[in-house]
Order: sequence, then structure tokens, then C-alpha cells
Amino acid sequence: MFIALRDLRFAWGRFLLMTVVVCLVAFLTTLLSGLASGLIKNNISGLIELDFTHLAFEYNNNNKPSYRNSMIERDMWEGWSEMDGVRDVEPMGHSMFSARLLDDSSLDDVVLWGVEPGGFLEPEVETGSGLGEIENGVIVSHLLIKRAKDMGKELGIGDSFKLDRALTEFTVVGIVHELNIGHVPIVYVPLRKWQEATYGPPGGAPPGEKLPDILFDFATLAALQLDPALDKASLDEMDIELGTLTVNRVDAYVASTGYREEIMTVQMIQGFLIIISAVVIGAFFTVWTIQRTQEIGLVKALGASNFYLMRDALSQVIILMLTGAFVGVVIALQLGRVFIESGFPFAMEINAAISSAILLIVAGLAGSALSVRLITRVDPIIALGAQK
Amino acid sequence: MSLEIKNVSLLLGDGDQQVKALDEVSATVAPGQLIAVAGPSGAGKSSLLAVCGGLRQPTSGSVAVDGVVISSMSAAELTRVRREKIGFVFQLSNLVPALTSVDQLLLLVHLQGRRPNRADREHARALLDEVGMAHRADRRPSQLSGGERQRVGIARALMTEPKIMLVDEPTSMLDHNRGHAIVELLAARCSEHDVATLMVTHDRGMLDAASRVFNISDGRLSEAEPVTGR
Repeated sequence: MFIALRDLRFAWGRFLLMTVVVCLVAFLTTLLSGLASGLIKNNISGLIELDFTHLAFEYNNNNKPSYRNSMIERDMWEGWSEMDGVRDVEPMGHSMFSARLLDDSSLDDVVLWGVEPGGFLEPEVETGSGLGEIENGVIVSHLLIKRAKDMGKELGIGDSFKLDRALTEFTVVGIVHELNIGHVPIVYVPLRKWQEATYGPPGGAPPGEKLPDILFDFATLAALQLDPALDKASLDEMDIELGTLTVNRVDAYVASTGYREEIMTVQMIQGFLIIISAVVIGAFFTVWTIQRTQEIGLVKALGASNFYLMRDALSQVIILMLTGAFVGVVIALQLGRVFIESGFPFAMEINAAISSAILLIVAGLAGSALSVRLITRVDPIIALGAQK
Repeated sequence: MSLEIKNVSLLLGDGDQQVKALDEVSATVAPGQLIAVAGPSGAGKSSLLAVCGGLRQPTSGSVAVDGVVISSMSAAELTRVRREKIGFVFQLSNLVPALTSVDQLLLLVHLQGRRPNRADREHARALLDEVGMAHRADRRPSQLSGGERQRVGIARALMTEPKIMLVDEPTSMLDHNRGHAIVELLAARCSEHDVATLMVTHDRGMLDAASRVFNISDGRLSEAEPVTGR
């Protein structure tokens, strides 16, 4: 690194410029991946929170699980609970409603999730209490509280709102942090209330009458806690027997609206950034090497091997990339912290940042491979004569 | 003999374009001797240096440095010979732009795979002092004049205590007085360090410091009449 380090000092302006470029690319990659995971987490935060290993949807012939179209019957979830290797099963309801405040102002779309009070699907509340104590009590995502606040309305513990179609009034008993699915805030209700709201008549049972029992034999899907030892083949067997479509957590995320597209977009942008940085670094070091041809010939004439000069050049690339990537990542994470504090969906993922920085450095090295090849081609004889 | 050239021919190009750059050249240079080879451009001066310095392999004939034949060596072996046994003084300004004068010398230590130590630093400064450049040790080439760069170049050539020193047109960009000073410095250093020196030049006014003088023309070498004083 004898020459490399002195080159860095001698031509510091050029190298600083290049470091800034690397720094910007690293900054963008990190910031983007932070924003992306923030966005993605924001999409499926409700699912992330749930304590399941698999979800059993209703079987459909295109083999794609759907929260919106799935409907399972009591014998399916009871069937699952009797299977070997199944630790726990809970039916769960998922349906979309529009929420209105009691003054009839429209609040927001919500996803109503029906869960067993006290079961493993019920979320831990941040404030307030759990389900089941009050007849029409619900737990709401903090996002809904924020929406109400944005409209200048108050919605908190003890306040009520209505769902269209169902017309039932629900009272907020607990608030969880931002738990959403498909970016829509979740409202948790006891499964029975969900079944009434989804399958029953608007406004609930007519006075003096009872809703038919059959209403309560349906749900959207079954959340399963399976033994990790259970293999795919026996899962498929059970699916066929019960008419369900069982997926693991990742596929459960993918089934959420927009999740796959969001991931693909972000990965594509990151990929392009990596390619761009490989090309820019490659171009810079190629031009730099061509400029140094005379000097390389001279040092070869003085007895430097190709290996010596290549190592020298690569160490320059590594120093430049390491410095640029480090500074870029640090700045992006600092900015990310500001985002988080201001409530922006940004996920700080140090490991992801480090791995994308490493990828960036590898891309830079790959890009500079051409310039290293050029070094081996320089003939030391150019040191002789007058061609300066 | 430190440098022995026997019946060396070098053909360049091919077919109709083929040129005999060197034609049955033989010469020997003893330690401490400064041999000057004079001739117009295109006469084969650079080819002679290239063959002696292991930068080109001769088409026929042999070159031996310090008793070892280098004209049949591989490129990697030649690189090592250049590093260890040969000192080059190039035409003006052939210094590494990013390095200070003292680093130009220490680079050669580094090329040998060693981290320069205190003794190397002292050796480098002593050599710079010998060529009158001690006060410019920490300047980069862009801050030096043409003559100063050439002095640093001479000190660099001596850094590894080579067996032979090959000097390429040392005065081409200097005025007469400065050129003379450089050649005299070369002659003095070469006898002091006991290194066999081969200098090529097109400037016939620079030959009086040489032990022997050859003329080169169309690739053929012939000994010139002894130069009689100045």
C-alpha cells in the first residue's frame, strides 16, 4: 500500500469526490432499505404480532391464500385441533368495514379481526384492558386513533364508533401500537361479535330474538401452532382431508395485499443502486489506471510485480469503498432515527445495513476488476524513451 | 564483469516492417566503469538499454548481469533481477508523482517486500545528500526542477546497491551546464559505489566523463576514439 496511500493523499480531491459518490450510494441504499422495511412492516405489523406458525385458509384451486375470500367451518378448525403435532388452534375472523364516529363522520377503513378473548391471538394492549369484559368492547390499532386525531376528533378508551353494514356500536377498551394489515388499521373484537357483525343482520339480532347458531360455525381462517417436527407431507395430507390451504408465516405475509409488490420494488431499486455503484467505481478506477499508465510502467521497470501493483490498486478501492460506505450508512441510520422519532415508518436494521454495505463493497471491487486487468497489460518498456 | 553482452541481436516488428534494432552487439562493463553509448535517435540506444535491463529479450545472443545470464529468464525472474541488481536512471521526470524524494528511494525497499526501517531511511537520506538533494528530500516531483529530478533519479538508482546502472538520456531536457553537472555526478557516483554503468545519449558534448565511449548506428556498436580532455 506504499503508493496507494500516498496516491490517496496526493490526489485527495479526486478520491474525496469518489468517496462522496460511494457515500451517497451507501446512504441511499441504507435509507431505502430502512424505509422499505418500515413500509413492509407497516403493511403486515398485525400479522407479525400474531403468535402462529401456520395459517389454514379455505382451499381454493389457484392455490393462493386469500384473507378476503377465505371462509372455514367449525369442523375444519376442530379437525385441525385433533391432528397429531398440532399444539393449538384458534379460529379467526377477517373482514373489512368502514368505521364511522357516532356523529356519523366517516373515520377510516378498518379490518375487523375476530379473536377468542384471552386466546393466543389477542394482542397485548398498550393502554386499557383486554377483550371480553364489556359486551361490545374492542381493541384498536393506534393508527385509528391517529386518523381520528388527524380529523380533529377525539377517540380514546371509552369512546365508541360504528361500523357500516353491521351498524353495531363498539367501545374502545384497549389500544395497541400500530398494528395493521395491508396498511389498514386493525380492530380486534371477540370472535362471536365478529361473526355477528360479518354474517348477521345489520344492527344485530332483532329485539327479543336470538341469532341462529349456524352463524357461529364460520370464521375466515384458523391460526395454528404446529410442532416444528411436522413435515410438509403430513401437512398436505391434513389439508386434503380438511379442505384447507395451510401456509407458513412468510406465505401468510405474502398473502397480504401489496406485500409482494412492495418487496419487489424495493429490491429492484437496491439492485440498481448496487449496479450503478459498480459501474461508477469501475469507470473511475479505469480512468485513474489509464492516467497512471506511465507511472505503472515505471514502477514495473523498477521491479514491481503485477501482484504488487494489483494489491496496491485493490487496497485503494477497498479504502475508498469502506470509508464511503461507512459514512453513508452512519448518516442514513442517523436520519432514520429522526424519521422514527417523527413517527415515519422506518425500520432500523443494522444487519441489513451492514450486509448491503458489504454488497456495495463487493460490487465496487467487481467494477474495478477491469482496471486491475489493465495494470497487468502495461509494458514496463514505456519507462524508457521520451514519450511522456 | 558486471555486465556482459555477447553477440546480441534484436529484431523488432515482423514481415516487411521488420527492423534490426541491434545487430551482433558485444560489450562488457566492469564495476566502477561508466560506458557511454552515443548515437542519433533510432540508432538502437533504447533497444540496447531494454535488452540490458531485461525489458526485452534479445532475438539472439546473451546478456549476463553479475555473472548470471538473464537473456533466457522468464518475465517474473526478470522482474526480480531488475529489482535486485539493476538501477535505472530514466529520462527527465520519470519519478512517481505522488511520492516525495525520499519516498522515491524507499519505494524500492518496499518493492523488495520489506517495510522501510530506520536504516533504510538513513541510507536514503545519505544518498540524497550525495547527489545534493538532502534539502529537497520531502518535496514531490512537481516541486522540483528538471536537474533536481534527475539527481533524485540517480539517488534512486543507487538505493538497492545494484550491480549495474542503466542510464537513459540523462541530459535530454537540461541545458549544457546542468547536463554536464549531472553526467559528472553520475561518473563520480558510479566509481564511488563500484557499479557498472551504461549510459546512452545523443548528446556528444556529454561524453568526456565516460571511461569508454561507443558509437551506435543502425544497431551496430563501435568503439569511438578516446576523448581527449576537455
